[in-house]
Amino acid sequence: MTAALFPAQEIGSLAKPRWQLLGQRGAPLDPGAAEEFRGDEARLHFADDLAGAREALLGPGAPPDRADRARDLGAEFAIRFLEAAGLDRVYDGEARRIEMYEYPIRQMLGFEFQGHVRSFDAKYYLKAAVVDAVGLAAPYHVDEFDFVRAHARAEPKLPITGPYTLADWSYNQYYLARQPGWKGRGARRSAQREFVVDVARRAIRPTLRALVDRGCRVIQIDEPAAGTHPDEAELVVEGFNAATEGLDAEFSMHICYSDYRALLPTLLEAKRCRQWAWEFANRDAPGHDGYAVLRALREYGDDRSVGLGVVDVHRDAVEPPEVVAERIGRAARYLGDPGRLWVNPDCGLRTRSLPVARAKLEALVAGAELARAEFENPRR
Amino acid sequence: MRVLTGLTSPFPRPEPLVQASRDFDRGRVSAERVDALYRSTEEEVDALERRIGLGVRTAGYVRWPDLYRPIAERWDGFAVGPLTRWLETNTFFRQPILLAPPVRVPGAFASGLPAPLRAAPAGARVLLPGPYSLARLLDNRSGETDAAVVHRLGRLLGEEAAALANDGFSEFLLPDPLLVRDPPEGPLAEATVAAYRAVQAGVGAGRATAWTYGGDARPALPLLDRLHPTVVGIDLTETEPDALPAAPRPGPVGFGVLDSRTTLAEEPEEIARIAHDAARRRGATEVLLGPAGPLDLLPWGPAARKAEQLARVPNARSGGPA
Repeated sequence: MTAALFPAQEIGSLAKPRWQLLGQRGAPLDPGAAEEFRGDEARLHFADDLAGAREALLGPGAPPDRADRARDLGAEFAIRFLEAAGLDRVYDGEARRIEMYEYPIRQMLGFEFQGHVRSFDAKYYLKAAVVDAVGLAAPYHVDEFDFVRAHARAEPKLPITGPYTLADWSYNQYYLARQPGWKGRGARRSAQREFVVDVARRAIRPTLRALVDRGCRVIQIDEPAAGTHPDEAELVVEGFNAATEGLDAEFSMHICYSDYRALLPTLLEAKRCRQWAWEFANRDAPGHDGYAVLRALREYGDDRSVGLGVVDVHRDAVEPPEVVAERIGRAARYLGDPGRLWVNPDCGLRTRSLPVARAKLEALVAGAELARAEFENPRR
Repeated sequence: MRVLTGLTSPFPRPEPLVQASRDFDRGRVSAERVDALYRSTEEEVDALERRIGLGVRTAGYVRWPDLYRPIAERWDGFAVGPLTRWLETNTFFRQPILLAPPVRVPGAFASGLPAPLRAAPAGARVLLPGPYSLARLLDNRSGETDAAVVHRLGRLLGEEAAALANDGFSEFLLPDPLLVRDPPEGPLAEATVAAYRAVQAGVGAGRATAWTYGGDARPALPLLDRLHPTVVGIDLTETEPDALPAAPRPGPVGFGVLDSRTTLAEEPEEIARIAHDAARRRGATEVLLGPAGPLDLLPWGPAARKAEQLARVPNARSGGPA
C-alpha cells in the first residue's frame, strides 16, 4: 500500500470513446469523431509509440489492422484518462473487452454457447453450457496487461472475472451429468462445486500464473455473482482459493450490489485476498448509512484493506468532494483504521458518459484529499 | 393415474425474434415486422406443443416482458417500476408499484393472451401471476397492508379467471414461488388462503394450480395443503421427493421436474419414476408435470429439447405413472 492515506484506484470498465467504437468496426472516422480524438490526444498526451496506430485510425484508406489499432488507442486513452484524474492504480478501462463473461469463456475449453437468454425486456445475453471438463486454450489478458504495463505511469491493477461468476453464469451440464441419480439439490451442489473448482484450477489459475510471471502484481478478481446465492459463499471462497493457490500477488475481490453481511463470515476464508472492493455509495442515502456494514469486518476481526466505493455509477449527479470525504471518514471510523482504506467508484464507470465519469473521478480524488487533510490535521 | 404435461412459464424467444426485438429497440426494424414475428412464434410454440404431445398448450407467452407486466401495465392502480432481480437468477423484471388499491380492467389482461390460445381455449393454459408473490415483490405504496393487497389481488384474479372461464378457458396456472421461498405467516397466510379460494371460485369447474418453485416445499406444506381444491405444484428439483409427506386428502398434485438452470435434458424414464413415487407418497389421483422454474431461463433450443422429454414422460416405461 502507498504511504499516503486513501489512495485512489480504478475498479472496472469505462465507456469507450466514439472514435474507438468506429475504429473497432474498421470504419473511417467522421469529422466529429476525428475532432474528438484529436482533443483527447492533445489533452492526454498519447505515447509516441502509438504514432502508427494514430495513422491507421485517422489516415486515408482502410488498413486491415484499423480495429486492433483503435483498441490500442482506446486502451492508451483510458490509461491516461484515469491517470489524469489522479488515480494511483489504473488499468485500461477494459478497452479491449466487450463484457466480462463471453470473452473469458471463449478462451476456455469444454464450453459451448447455447443461444441468447433474455435478461430483461429486449435485452439478452449469450450463455454457454459446460459440456466437457473445463480446460484452457491459452492464458488470456496477458497481451492486454503487457500493453498497460508498457504505457501506464501509475501502478497497473488488472481485473479478471472470477471462477464462481463464470460458473454461475453458465449452464452446468457436464458436471451435473456425472452425478448419479436424480439431479436434486444435493447433486446440483456437488456438481457446481466441481465446476467452480475446475474453472479456478484449470483456467483461471494458469492465467493468473502467466500474468504474475509477466510482472502483474495487483489483481482484482471480480465476483459479481457472489451475492446472487448467499448460501453458496463457500463456493466463492473455494474458487478464489483454488485460483490463487501458490501465487504471489496482491489479490482483491470485487463484489457489488449484494448483501455483504449474508456472505460473512464465510467470505473471510478467502486466504490470499488482501482487499475487499465493494460498492457502498449506491446504498448510501439520507436515513440509510451505506457504510455501516463495514462494522461487520471489525466485529469479525478482519484486518484486510477495503476498496471503498465512494461514487455511485448509476447516477449522473456528481458527488461533491465533501460528500466523498465524509463517506471516507465514516468508513474509517467503522473500520477503526484509516490506513486500510483505498477509494474507488462503486463499480465500472462504463454506465456513465466519459465527461460524467471524469467528473466523478476528479471528485473522488478531491474528496480523498479533503479526507486526508482531515485525518492528518484533525480539527479540534 | 392420469398424467398431464405442460409448460408453466413463458417460453424462450427464438433467435430471429431475439434479433428482431433488439433491432426494434435500435430503430432498425418496424413494429409491424416484430409483431409478425411474435405472432409466428406463438404459432410455432403452439404447434410444437401439439406435435410433441404436451397435455396443455401455452403458445409460449413470448410477448410478455415478465410475469407481472400484463397486470402492471393494464390494470389500474399500478405503475411499472425499476428493474429488479428475479429471485436468484441473472434475469430481471420491472417491479410493479402499487399506487392505489388495484382495480381490474375488464378484458385488458385477456387481450394480451397469445392469439392461438384465444382462438382455441380448449386445452389451453392461462398463466396468471400468483397473488402472494406478486404482493410481496411489488412496491406497495397503496396504503393497504400487504395482507389486504394479497386478498384483493386474489379477488381480482378470481374475477379475471371467471371472465376467461366464460370464454372457454378451464386450465389456470399461477406461478407463486415465494410460497415456498418465503412462506406467508399469520395474516398473510390467511390472506393467501382466501386469495386462492377467490381464484378457485372464479375458475369454477376448471382447475387452478398454484405453481411453487425455487425452494423446498416441505416446510410450507401445512399451508399449501389448505389451498385445496387448488392444485399445488411442488418443485422436485428443490424438494426431496423421498421425503414428501402424504397429503391430507387425495387429489391432483403438480410436480416441477425440469430444471431450467441446466441445459442437461432430463430422462423421461427417470422423471416418470421419481414423479410416480412422489405421487404415491402424496396420495395423488392425478399428476401435473412441468418445468420447475421459468423455462425462459434457457435459450430456445435447450428449452425445446426439455419440452420434448417432458412430453415423453406419460409413455415412459419405467414402472412410472404411465
